Amino acid sequence: MGPIIRAMKHNRMRFALIIVEIAITLAIVTNAVNMILDERQKMLRQSGFDDENLISIGYQPFAPEFREESFVESLVQTDMRAIRSIPGVKAVAATGFLPWQGGGSSGTWKTEGYNDKFQAQLYAARGQLFETLDMEVAQGRAFVETDTPVETNVPTRVTIISRALAKKLWGDANPIGRVITNGEGGTPRTVIGVIDEFYNPYAWNIGEFVLFTPGRSYDGGGARFLLRVEPGAVKSVVSQLEPKLLAVNNGRVFRLLTVAEQKDNFFSAGKVVITAMTGIIIVLIFITGLGIVGITSLAVSERTRQIGTRRALGATRADILKHFLAENWLVTSAGLILGVVATYALNFALVSKLTDVKMPWYLVGIGIVMLWAIGIIATLPPALRAATVSPAIATRSV
Amino acid sequence: MLSYNVKIAIKSLRRNPILTSLLIGAIALGICVSTTFIAVRHIFEKDPLPGKSQTLFNVRLDNWDPQRAWNAEDPKSLPTQITYRDMRELMKSNLPTRQTGTYRSRFFVHPDPKVARPYAENVRLVFTDFFPMFDFKFRYGGPWDKAADAKPEQVIVIGHQTNQKLFAGANSVGRTVRLEDRNYKVVGVLEPLRPAVLFYDMTQGGIGQLPEEIFMPFNFTPVLELQTFGNSDGWKGFDGDGYAAFLNSETVWIQFWAELPTPQKQAAYRDFVNNYVRDQKKLGRFQRPLHTEVTAMPDLIKELSSLPPAVRSLSIVSVLFLVVCSLNLVGLLLGKFLARVPEVSVRRALGASRLQVFWQHVVECELVGIAGGVIGLTLSIGLLKLIAKAIPNGEVIRLDTEMVLVSLFLSLVAGLVAGVYPSWRVCSVAPAMQLKVQ
Repeated sequence: MGPIIRAMKHNRMRFALIIVEIAITLAIVTNAVNMILDERQKMLRQSGFDDENLISIGYQPFAPEFREESFVESLVQTDMRAIRSIPGVKAVAATGFLPWQGGGSSGTWKTEGYNDKFQAQLYAARGQLFETLDMEVAQGRAFVETDTPVETNVPTRVTIISRALAKKLWGDANPIGRVITNGEGGTPRTVIGVIDEFYNPYAWNIGEFVLFTPGRSYDGGGARFLLRVEPGAVKSVVSQLEPKLLAVNNGRVFRLLTVAEQKDNFFSAGKVVITAMTGIIIVLIFITGLGIVGITSLAVSERTRQIGTRRALGATRADILKHFLAENWLVTSAGLILGVVATYALNFALVSKLTDVKMPWYLVGIGIVMLWAIGIIATLPPALRAATVSPAIATRSV
Repeated sequence: MLSYNVKIAIKSLRRNPILTSLLIGAIALGICVSTTFIAVRHIFEKDPLPGKSQTLFNVRLDNWDPQRAWNAEDPKSLPTQITYRDMRELMKSNLPTRQTGTYRSRFFVHPDPKVARPYAENVRLVFTDFFPMFDFKFRYGGPWDKAADAKPEQVIVIGHQTNQKLFAGANSVGRTVRLEDRNYKVVGVLEPLRPAVLFYDMTQGGIGQLPEEIFMPFNFTPVLELQTFGNSDGWKGFDGDGYAAFLNSETVWIQFWAELPTPQKQAAYRDFVNNYVRDQKKLGRFQRPLHTEVTAMPDLIKELSSLPPAVRSLSIVSVLFLVVCSLNLVGLLLGKFLARVPEVSVRRALGASRLQVFWQHVVECELVGIAGGVIGLTLSIGLLKLIAKAIPNGEVIRLDTEMVLVSLFLSLVAGLVAGVYPSWRVCSVAPAMQLKVQ
């Protein structure tokens, strides 16, 4: 080791270059992978619903007859019958809930047995909500027609909540029959059922918490339907929906969106981040490797005579190879030590809040092993060339 | 001298086309990546109204629940909008040069049935000051007058797209548009407008939101009993029934802007706002600690923007990427220049000064930098187009002149970073030594 380090002292700048390059590369690669994993984790999250086969269609009316409550009430029922009559449609509900909207409606609630007020998403739904979401009411019962008050201005009295919310509020105790009120203690609703899975990304980390009620999500301002179709039927149903509903009433305009499209939109920025980061990582590793090849080649061609002399003095080819590999290993290791510091410094610079993203140690470990390997692979071609230098070179003057 | 150096540099670069394209390629790659991701960030963070935005102030008042802050987790938070009644009171001040309350609503447009079916369109309610405050450019006509604000008169300003859709792009000033059950006279048509950030309404994060296509006098709000199509947040029930109770409630749904050109006016206006809240406290409202914010537009955008943090991260990472590309060139250039030591030593022996040799090589590096920069810039235009396509409402993502300059500057810096050390090494060669070896 001693002679190697002494030899390196003559080329400080060159090795400093590799050290800095390796350090920055490690910092970028680990942080980029960390961000990719973060985005992927969000995308792999399951909503719990049959996303691929869900369609949302909403309308906004402009015809004056929509001001009549009774007109809207019967129209929504007619609409749902019309939608169900389209071949391929399995179930339909009138609800403002749209999976992967990344928002929706929510409220602040209170219940006995839980000390604080809590926030949860709230969606009113009529029709076949759980059939549409392809979900069983795991405990308790589903909504029935009589759960919906006849008068439109009377609040609903029952609710079906997600398992995650029940766990948060009452632990493993039976949630059925418990009463949830609004933040001021008004509009009590009795829990009549629990669904096992629910996830719709939302602010304040309430993505898993939901209250469904058998209420009206529609009024004179419009309505929205969520429907599930048989696998493969999305396209044909989409093409028939609007004409069918226009035939029911044409005093309105429609907005149609498949849940798959909605999910795509929701994750579009994340996909760009993943693609960009992946591209940067690949190109960066390639470039750093090339840089090591270049600088080592330079070192070899500059030291051709010394190599010849060493060979003439009895060093084997393996000795020369070992020399360059050891040299590179030392430089790479120094770069990696600096790189670990740089990794955490960059991580610190990238997160706006300290609590946000953390750098898992195993990522740094994988990064170190990878860069060691790249260092060796990149050193091999010039080092092999060095090993072929003939001892006779030493005897020549240039 | 420069032209001579450039000539020599080109000659030297031509001698080894493979190495030269490697050098240019590395810079191009670094510039392409860094330009692209700095540009994405720049588009969303740059000042939307340079020179003007510092005089435009958004007003916020903490009228929230005495028990609970606006954001329950942050006791210092306050609502991003104000109530209708507070807006009415603030409007009585004559300190601002201009001022407007504003919000987004939604109307059905009923075009000539021969042209199109009725459709819903976002409509922004504003006072006429809104247009000059936010520097709206008119293609035809202009804003309505103050009299139309007060009455209110049935007048509207329409956007470029609506003018295309309803009037095939003709000068439609004086023609009428039917919204719901009334006809409105067009007084102005705007130039096409697509800001990256909806700077006059940040209540929903401002990113990816299109400006409204129709603008209507604010005072139609009580006349038509309009509802907001934006955020509306309340914490307290209404006193009484009907629309009047809603207008009189603690529900916040209006953005309020004042133009305050001088620091004196800004200070005086802050006092005015605080005194207003103190007066209201005497009436039993505003029971939380006195907290008002009069925020300049650029600061408000920073505070409320919904730009994903990854955009900032990508821009930082991409600059580091450029640094690595540039460091790589140091090694390559070192090899290239040192191979030329014999030639340089002859020049030195013939009287070229160290500085001259140094500059000659720096110029060569800068040529590589500029060539790489131009190629990188071209590539990044393509990359930005791909990104714009992949994101909903992403068409605002593109290069502006400022970014082109930044990018060229970066390529010069990259060339310099890569070239200084090798140039210095080659120029510090002693002439005699080299001649001896020869």
